[in-house]
Amino acid sequence: MSLNPLVLRADFPLFDHYPDLVYLDNAATTQKPRQVLDAERHFYETANANVHRSSYRLSGLATDAFEGARNTVARFLNAGSADEIIFTRGATEAINLVANSWGSANLKPGDEILVSGYEHHANIVPWQLIAAQTGAIVRAIPVFPDGTLDRTSFLSQLQPQVKLVAITHASNAIGTHLPVLELAAAAHVAGARVLIDGAQAVAHENVDVQALGADFYVFSGHKVYGPTGIGVLYGKAELLADMPPWQGGGDMIDKVSFAGTTFAAPPGRFEAGTPPIAQAVGLAAALDWLSKLDRAALKQHEAHLCALLDAGLRKIPGVRVLGATTERAPLRSLIFDNAHPYDVAQFLDGRDIAVRVGKHCAEPLLDALGVNGTLRVSFAAYNTTADVERFLQALAETLEELA
Amino acid sequence: MSGAAQHEIEQAYAHPFGAQIDRAALSQRLDAAGGWEAKSRLLVQLARELPGLPEQEKNDTNRVSGCESTVWLITRWQDGRLQVAADSDSRVIKGLLTLLLTAYHNRSADEIQRFDIEAWLASLGLVRFLSASRGNGIRAIATRIIEASRQPAG
Repeated sequence: MSLNPLVLRADFPLFDHYPDLVYLDNAATTQKPRQVLDAERHFYETANANVHRSSYRLSGLATDAFEGARNTVARFLNAGSADEIIFTRGATEAINLVANSWGSANLKPGDEILVSGYEHHANIVPWQLIAAQTGAIVRAIPVFPDGTLDRTSFLSQLQPQVKLVAITHASNAIGTHLPVLELAAAAHVAGARVLIDGAQAVAHENVDVQALGADFYVFSGHKVYGPTGIGVLYGKAELLADMPPWQGGGDMIDKVSFAGTTFAAPPGRFEAGTPPIAQAVGLAAALDWLSKLDRAALKQHEAHLCALLDAGLRKIPGVRVLGATTERAPLRSLIFDNAHPYDVAQFLDGRDIAVRVGKHCAEPLLDALGVNGTLRVSFAAYNTTADVERFLQALAETLEELA
Repeated sequence: MSGAAQHEIEQAYAHPFGAQIDRAALSQRLDAAGGWEAKSRLLVQLARELPGLPEQEKNDTNRVSGCESTVWLITRWQDGRLQVAADSDSRVIKGLLTLLLTAYHNRSADEIQRFDIEAWLASLGLVRFLSASRGNGIRAIATRIIEASRQPAG
């Protein structure tokens, strides 16, 4: 079955407002289908109450909707149980939760956290912060200048003092897929835990956290057609069970007294305060929307857009694609011989083409590649071959103009 | 500082913006450029008229950090007037810098602190640059110049 992006596009009201927009910044955030907007609105109109209060029926409806969303996420990731799904504000908060909770309980001076050189700052800085508190050390898995991973260095650094390996499923800056299955297996043999940042993967790949062997897997709702303000931490039940709470508040306790407080079981232990209920419902609607598509056809569609883009870029002089030899998510990161990415983006914006420029919150990676900033083109389900053609033509003319 | 380096700095401050080119002249050129693309094109053109900074001045002290592009800014007092020179690796941003220089270069502290840069840029149809970018957006650079004007002369 093939996939018609024009039919999909009709699900996205933003394009009704901007019919001429070529939106190519999907790695930053995707647009939202009507089904997601409707689900949130429907929740507020028909089931809104605070969750986990069982004294009246409306709260029961809200709780069912919220916990139903948790079930949807668990199915989406093939988690062993919905109790392994913790709702957070986003991938960033999910990583911070693991760093603070698991990290504070499990890291001691001299322990090491291996972080890949591809990581977004969100998967670097939380480790640096917890390392500073615990005396652990953060080490980088290097990336070669061509954007490939230094596997030899990874394996040689994988010593018994390594307690955790933090890797992205796919690089947000250049798209490169990490061999997460292989890295996770090696890490486990060495006795380390593995956290995978799935922010750039979930919208494009079928993710099975059990098959991947992830101890922790995180993603943000807004990058997978869902709302902002909601994200997911998947954690293996046996790990979550032993992790201390990170934030204190309501809804996360078993019993509170000034003599001492006992905490709820996961996931409640990690969801202090009123959670993002409607956003969870919206996220579940997004995952349902995505899951109803033919995922293989979607992947093929996005790969086709990339192939068209790659072929077109080869015909434009003075363009370099980063990590070009690596297998990548449907995004391309470009630099130009005679133009600054920011300038190119300004001219593209003049033609209603939205792209991202800069360091993409991945400065160590850009340093390793020897570049200051790139122009990133990233696709989603609703992008069309016409989008690619308009981008290519505008880029060629812009580079000529700026030469 | 070597004589050659001093000469390069003098050249950097000897740019035409705020001197031969005044606000009225720039306003006229920007008004004539209708549409976003034409304005971007004009900014790139203006960037060509700004000599920029010597390499040794493009250092961390003078750097206004940002994610999307890099800006370097230097200031000094000369006869009670703040002299301002700047550069960027982006030509569009360098073009925007010519507007800031036109507004602030070779002015007294009082003139600098009283000038409403946001209103002027808005009147030129460049308001979107005020909201753009963290760190080294136009607002951040203007703030840095205004701060420099509050430092005592000499």
